[in-house]
Amino acid sequence: MSGSGPAVRVSIESSCEKQVQEVSLDGMETYVPPLSMSQNLAKLAQRIDFGQGSDSDEEGVETEPRDPQEWGKQEPEEDEVKFQPSLWPWDSVRNNLRSSLTEMCVLYDVLSVVKEKKYMALDPVSQDPSTPQVFQLISKKKSLATAAQLLLKGADKLSKSVAENQENRRQRDFNSELLRLRSQWKLRKVGDKILGDLSYRSAGSLFPHAGTFEVIKNTDIDLDKKLPEDYCPLNVQIPSDLEGSAYIKVSIQKQAPDIGDLGTVSLFRRQPKAKAGTQPWHVKLEAAQNVLLCKEIFAQLSREAVQIKSQIPHIVVKNQIISQPFPGLQLSISLCHSTGEKKNQRASPEKPKPDDHLYVLEHNLHQLMREFHKQTLSSIVMPHPASAPFGHKRQRMAGPMAYDKAEISNLQQNEGLLEKIIKQAKHIFLRSRSIQLQLNIGVEQIRVVHRDGRVITLSHQEQELQDFLLSQMSQHQVHAVQQLAKVMGWHVLSFSNHVGLGSVESIGNASAITVASSNGEYAISVRNGPESGCKVLVQFPRSQSKELPKSDVIQDGKWNHLRGPYKEVHWSKMEGRNFVYKMELLMAALTPCP
Amino acid sequence: MGVTCVCQVPLAEGKSVQQTIDILHKKLEQLSAVKQGNFTVDCETYHATGNGATTPTKLLYVMHNSETPLSCLALFEGGPCLTADGNFDVLMIKLKSHFQNAKGHKVESRGSRYRYCDFLIKVGAVTMSSSARGISVEVEYCPCVVPGDCWNLMKEFMQSFLGPSIPELPSVFATKPEGLYVPADCVDTMTQYLELFSKVRKQQVLPGTTR
Repeated sequence: MSGSGPAVRVSIESSCEKQVQEVSLDGMETYVPPLSMSQNLAKLAQRIDFGQGSDSDEEGVETEPRDPQEWGKQEPEEDEVKFQPSLWPWDSVRNNLRSSLTEMCVLYDVLSVVKEKKYMALDPVSQDPSTPQVFQLISKKKSLATAAQLLLKGADKLSKSVAENQENRRQRDFNSELLRLRSQWKLRKVGDKILGDLSYRSAGSLFPHAGTFEVIKNTDIDLDKKLPEDYCPLNVQIPSDLEGSAYIKVSIQKQAPDIGDLGTVSLFRRQPKAKAGTQPWHVKLEAAQNVLLCKEIFAQLSREAVQIKSQIPHIVVKNQIISQPFPGLQLSISLCHSTGEKKNQRASPEKPKPDDHLYVLEHNLHQLMREFHKQTLSSIVMPHPASAPFGHKRQRMAGPMAYDKAEISNLQQNEGLLEKIIKQAKHIFLRSRSIQLQLNIGVEQIRVVHRDGRVITLSHQEQELQDFLLSQMSQHQVHAVQQLAKVMGWHVLSFSNHVGLGSVESIGNASAITVASSNGEYAISVRNGPESGCKVLVQFPRSQSKELPKSDVIQDGKWNHLRGPYKEVHWSKMEGRNFVYKMELLMAALTPCP
Repeated sequence: MGVTCVCQVPLAEGKSVQQTIDILHKKLEQLSAVKQGNFTVDCETYHATGNGATTPTKLLYVMHNSETPLSCLALFEGGPCLTADGNFDVLMIKLKSHFQNAKGHKVESRGSRYRYCDFLIKVGAVTMSSSARGISVEVEYCPCVVPGDCWNLMKEFMQSFLGPSIPELPSVFATKPEGLYVPADCVDTMTQYLELFSKVRKQQVLPGTTR
């Protein structure tokens, strides 16, 4: 670095910036006056810590007693640091400049050597040659192939297991099928036979039929041939009297049929197709169970028909029970059991009239029988403690309270299955009754004979008849609500055929009825007019309405059970075929479950 | 449940028990009473096997009445009485060690039951170990439960078919501390039967009675 080139002049200037003391309002800055010489000296002097002087003795006395060895080591180092020549402000600048000069000289030397190319030469860095595309393709292919192989192996394994499952299912091992059967039906092993029970005994039935079926292995299969689709290794053998299918037909006829026709009811309907997934044995067993239940129902009904004394005796002929709930009306209950062999026995099969068979009553019979089963098992009847005799709780008091026969018979259930069904049939018949108006159309006038005896004469103008019928319809609807209330157990609070409130009708008068539910929580008010149509309002209990403000007067919680505000029902949006169905639905919806 | 009166009817002159009963039936049918089946009242005796053999053993009587088919009545003579369920009989078997059944002392009355409007009349033959000992007649007036109110009516009714041998007011009602106007119940009926059976038991076998 000495004498390598012309000297470079470096000019340095310190930024003598003064601190701003104050900026006045007109923008003039007032600087802090720089320190004078004496002030500077004083400032520097303040920095010197005279407490730590150069003499080691002084330092030893004044500082805190420390470990003398440690202190001895530290002290000369501090001394050296302390008493270096004071660094003048430009020292760092000078050092930096010096080092940069060094760097520049080195760079210059290097460049000049390289330029000469005698002792040093610049050589570019060797680059790796790019792999050709063919190699890339091959490597990618290889890696993909390995991945594909792994996936294929896995897929292979899966498909193998699925195929195995299907094979098993197809083959349908007897034991697995037996397991499936056992999960749905009661089985027991007697000797080397497997017997099952399809009766309702365990559900509370008292019918004496055993209802045992036998499970047999299906061995008539040729292993060489392909197995048929509906092959099942298990077969059930049901008792011969439960074969086929049965149902109970309940029908109401207005005219009594001929005596000769009694006992010949044998219409059967097609069985519904079994679901695709169900086993053939399940279908068979279910059908047999249904036959058993129908037999039980019919046996119970015929037993009651014979035992119960009524004004008009019931006739029991073969598979039919005939009774007369009303004079001129005949109710026939018949057990239709088809063994499934003779299907096309009639040349011209009778078309079963859809209105004839009351499916509702058939369903009800099944339900009533199942309820009877449940009752025999219910805890009300089941004795507590277990040693007590069977019977209703009240009946157990009969002994200690010395009830006589009249009181005991009062306790027991009076109504049998037959009576219940007859009551229901009567109800259905009454419901299907419409207003009976007899129109006598004469030459000059029309005479209308109403059911309650009124005779009204109408002239030839059709408007009169129309108006009359409209008014009758609106009255009838309100009457229907009254009848419905009786049936559903609602109380009629008020009823008026000719209401004096509300808008005046041009035809006839509006009628209105208010009914309350059996527990008093809800009330339905209906106002029906021939012109104004039907308006239905429902009154809710106070506890259910959110609009009622809290009152200071009504503080007791019991007042919340009273009925509160009314709400109108969108009658046109109500579900139901006609007015009566809609009203029945509304009443049923407002009757709470017990 | 009504007021009952149980009495013993003496045999008619020269007639057997069955014949006397038939006469009574005929009289009732003439009155247009309707036969409504049969009835049974029986009484079994149990000895209380007490610790002290010297004290007279108390006799427990267990009675059944077909009118109250599910009940059993257990009573001591003149003492407390218990109305129980039919299982009481089974209980007595379990209590064999404390109460021994005197099998030969079983008395029962069987016969037909007639109904005449509000009256129930039961005419039965009292038998003890299958030998007829007498005739018991029970008249019940169903609507009333107070003996004092209906005793006169019952007396008049019994007069119509029993003739001169009408009983007096049963001692059961007369000896009640509260008087005649206390409601009667089945216990009174059975007490009357017990008295009748005791009387019959003490009697000798009636001469001339056929088995």
